[in-house]
Amino acid sequence: MFSMLRRMPLDPSMYTYRTYVVSAGDNFSAAKAVEFEGSLLNRNHKAKEQGKKNNQPRDASTSDLGAVDHYTIVTVPRARRVHQSYVTAPFSTLHCFWACLRVLRGLHPDQNPLPRFIHSPYPDIILTNGPATAVCVILAAKTLRLVHYLLSIFPFGTPAGRKAEPRLTWDGQAPLDFQLRTIFVESWARVTTLSLSGKLLLPFVDRLLVQWPALEGKVAWKGMRKTEYVGALVA
Amino acid sequence: MDSEDRNQPTKLCFVTVGATASFLSLLLSVLDSKFLEALSQSGYTHLLVQYGKDGQIIYENFLVKYPAGSPGRHGIEIGGFDFNQAGLGEVMRMTKENKSEGRSSGMIISHAGSGSILEALRLSVPLVVVPNPLLKDNHQAELANELQKQGYVVASHHDDISNAVEKAEALRSRMLTWPPVRGPSQRRHRTLNEVLADEMGFSD
Repeated sequence: MFSMLRRMPLDPSMYTYRTYVVSAGDNFSAAKAVEFEGSLLNRNHKAKEQGKKNNQPRDASTSDLGAVDHYTIVTVPRARRVHQSYVTAPFSTLHCFWACLRVLRGLHPDQNPLPRFIHSPYPDIILTNGPATAVCVILAAKTLRLVHYLLSIFPFGTPAGRKAEPRLTWDGQAPLDFQLRTIFVESWARVTTLSLSGKLLLPFVDRLLVQWPALEGKVAWKGMRKTEYVGALVA
Repeated sequence: MDSEDRNQPTKLCFVTVGATASFLSLLLSVLDSKFLEALSQSGYTHLLVQYGKDGQIIYENFLVKYPAGSPGRHGIEIGGFDFNQAGLGEVMRMTKENKSEGRSSGMIISHAGSGSILEALRLSVPLVVVPNPLLKDNHQAELANELQKQGYVVASHHDDISNAVEKAEALRSRMLTWPPVRGPSQRRHRTLNEVLADEMGFSD
């Protein structure tokens, strides 16, 4: 994931707040997230130095991007531990799914209060490449979107006579503070067949990106969005 | 053959069998006289083996059977370790050419785990990828074959590893650099950044 973000490269002035979801026990990934944020901060400092040299006043709002309060690391339970029985797996998966729902609503205990410039706890975009946890995060996002959509049609609990607060904008799009767009990146190791996570997510995820041309253009069923070839992202 | 020459630069072959799954057949194949002979014929001086958690016995049996200096080693110096918590990057770099330290470019033989493959590809040292036939749902072989087809690696069966040495030497001169460069001949595709910006509704 981090080699992808590094190569992208992730621009912290566009993606201003970052939440990293890691599986329980995956200290390696958590450490990588801290390291990656450190590199963003470093790059920003260098850019600032450069700015000072050139006497270019920098926008105050972008001056501290990449600082500690611009990201958070959340640990969710594993959907299925290695060698865990398939009998108990559905329960641990639900547990993981529940934790993901809380993360997406900004209610997970690991999450710090959001900085003031962030107006909504809901992420605009969710980028995943992991196995089971990625499935949980994306399905949780889809569930929230479904609930949101149903509430917009059937406004429960609104006093009669008062118009329900419009939940959809005029063109039927979700409001700007409730995007929850999902992207799943299939593993570089999969050349001609999608992984189980990829197959499960194909009908649900907004964009499914593949790193080998043979996997391009797969669809869950006719007329749905195709998988997209984006080249080797991990290189 | 001037393998006795003291001034000859060292040339290292590094083998990694991986840390999670056991891959004893690859270990047995590289600790075989036939393979060591092939190494020596291609000018190799050293072999370093990451033998994994259950490979120690095989490695130690080999050391007993072929003590240093025995003809079965074909003059190759051999070292081994079980695995390295900090990753293999440091060890892999020892196969790279370094004139000041008297090292010529060697090769890496790796199981087909994507982490090890990527790490080795970035070094631009000839890489032989050996899929583990014991792994279920074997998509590793697909990855190895595709990378071979594109000219990045040599894909080999563990039984055939001594023939792969020569193939790796041939690859050295025509091998492509990693990461792939997007040439004019290649079809233009979207980048991750574009897909994200697209989903975010940024227009530029």
